Amino acid sequence: MSLLELDAVDSYYGQSHILRDVSMRVEEGEICALLGRNGAGKTTTLRSIAGARPPEVRTGRITYKDRDITDMETEDISVLGISHVPEERRVFANLTVEENLHLADVVKNRSNTWGRDLDFEHEGQSIEQILEDFPRLSERQQQMAGTLSGGEQQMLAIARALKQSTDLLMLDEPYEGLAPQIIETVEGAIERIRDEGTTVLLVEQNAVAAMKIADRCYVIDQGSVVFEGPAEELRNDEETRERYLGV
Amino acid sequence: MSLVGELVVLLVNGLQTGAIYVLLAIGLSIILGTLKFVNFAHGALYVVGAYIGLLITQQISIANGQLAEWGFPTLGLGWGFIAALVIVPPIVFVVGLAMERFVARPFYDRPDTDQILVTFGLAIVVQELIHALIGPRSYTYDIPSEIAGGIPFSGPVGVPLSAVTIDVWRVWVIAITATLVIAVYAIVEYTDFGLVVKAGTRDPEMVRLLGIRITRPYLVMFGIGAGLAGVAGVVGAPLSNINPEIGMTILVPAFLTVVIGGVGSIRGAVLGGTLIGMVQVTLISLGTVSLGSLSINFTPWAQVGIYALAVVVLLTRPQGLLGSEEVTA
Ligand SMILES: Nc1ncnc2c1ncn2[C@@H]1O[C@H](COP(=O)(O)OP(=O)(O)OP(=O)(O)O)[C@@H](O)[C@H]1O
Ligand SMILES: [Mg+2]
Repeated sequence: MSLLELDAVDSYYGQSHILRDVSMRVEEGEICALLGRNGAGKTTTLRSIAGARPPEVRTGRITYKDRDITDMETEDISVLGISHVPEERRVFANLTVEENLHLADVVKNRSNTWGRDLDFEHEGQSIEQILEDFPRLSERQQQMAGTLSGGEQQMLAIARALKQSTDLLMLDEPYEGLAPQIIETVEGAIERIRDEGTTVLLVEQNAVAAMKIADRCYVIDQGSVVFEGPAEELRNDEETRERYLGV
Repeated sequence: MSLVGELVVLLVNGLQTGAIYVLLAIGLSIILGTLKFVNFAHGALYVVGAYIGLLITQQISIANGQLAEWGFPTLGLGWGFIAALVIVPPIVFVVGLAMERFVARPFYDRPDTDQILVTFGLAIVVQELIHALIGPRSYTYDIPSEIAGGIPFSGPVGVPLSAVTIDVWRVWVIAITATLVIAVYAIVEYTDFGLVVKAGTRDPEMVRLLGIRITRPYLVMFGIGAGLAGVAGVVGAPLSNINPEIGMTILVPAFLTVVIGGVGSIRGAVLGGTLIGMVQVTLISLGTVSLGSLSINFTPWAQVGIYALAVVVLLTRPQGLLGSEEVTA
């Protein structure tokens, strides 16, 4: 049994039919990349899995740890160990860097999660590790997140997700707006948590960078899966790369 | 009476009047600032608190209410003021939870005008319900005997002044308010609960993606605001008469307090409420002042003074004294 399975999923925004018959598997302990052009449906796929609405999943089934999560609430899916870093730097501008990071741990406070199923096996990265990875955040812990630069906000969003206790980390364009050196840091962190057993589902525009660290890849186009296989295979499949990824 | 003594009395009266506004404004301001919900029924919570408090404190005779016809010509437990002070806040807290769940929550994503309509309607329903059941007449709270006395105040040691008397019970109101304000401030500023509410103001979906159920903190926050309004009803009512209309009457200075202090700011509510209380009490106690042939009676101008204060503040700091500029509610 795979950690996460999508079985013939169809997702809609109101009347527009976006995901068509999407089936995917993400295996425990791997880095799986989901690639495709602008508007292909990558973000829609991640949001469908995370239970974020819209989109609406009308048919098909999403199974995680043998549990049907298709119609579950976002916050209940999250505490089963799926953390999702959405695109566009969703940090809380009115809170400090430290408070933003602390929000990753609030679910461990039972007054909020009382009466709900919690199920995560892999502890998040320690605050020390995170501040070591991202010294810029370390220097700015008391600064309001809204006053950080775009790149720093992106670092904060990723750092917060790394701090969450999670078994499946879904990253939507994590390299967006980051300098090459920081991208390396993020790549290193992703590989480290994979080695510690956390599974990663990575969405990237930068297909070359994603293929570098991915174990397996999916390519999606116009809402349908058009390629599935080891990263190695995609790197060698020039036709698919040119046709669907433009690289 | 000495000038110092008079000023001390003025200060105590002003702080005590202001305390009622502070208690009301905190809930109003937090609900407006964090949940972006305009609650015109906040005054109804005050009335509910005042009436429940009245019925716990003493026995009242019902003249023109339905309840008299239904066989309850007198009503009330007669347990005293302290009992009311303890029992009312949790009751109004629960009323607030129900209000959030059934009135506010369905309207969070609706325009302000819809929120105003529904809460204004609810306020009128509550007012008319009390009107019908208990009747239109005004009741007075007896100032509780436990705290009815006065403290003689004779100025700093060694300064001979003719003594004035400070009402013990006013000092009580100030002390109770201060304690509650500090408690709520600590909850909002220093707990995970407060952090989640603040985060939810900006991006509720991201809060949920972090596994946090946002509805629960919202619910509790609303309840806390309601509970404070209930306390205001109990401690504010002995000051004035109680009738079904006081909820609407008190709503105006409560909103002005929020506006002056700054939406969403607890410290702002404290500052705004205190200022309003001081201005109001000062104008009332000035009474008639004669300057040569010109004599002005300031008492009726107390209400005008509050508005004037609000106008001055809004012209100089549109976001309120301690409000942050970003809040647009
Ligand atoms: N809220 C929405 N309402 C209607 N249509 C939407 C909405 N969000 C996305 N879409 C449409 O769904 C399709 C897939 O969008 P999606 O965001 O999943 O693409 P993507 O693969 O993430 O693209 P990108 O690489 O540009 O982020 C697009 O055609 C987009 O216009
Ligand atoms: Mg996208």
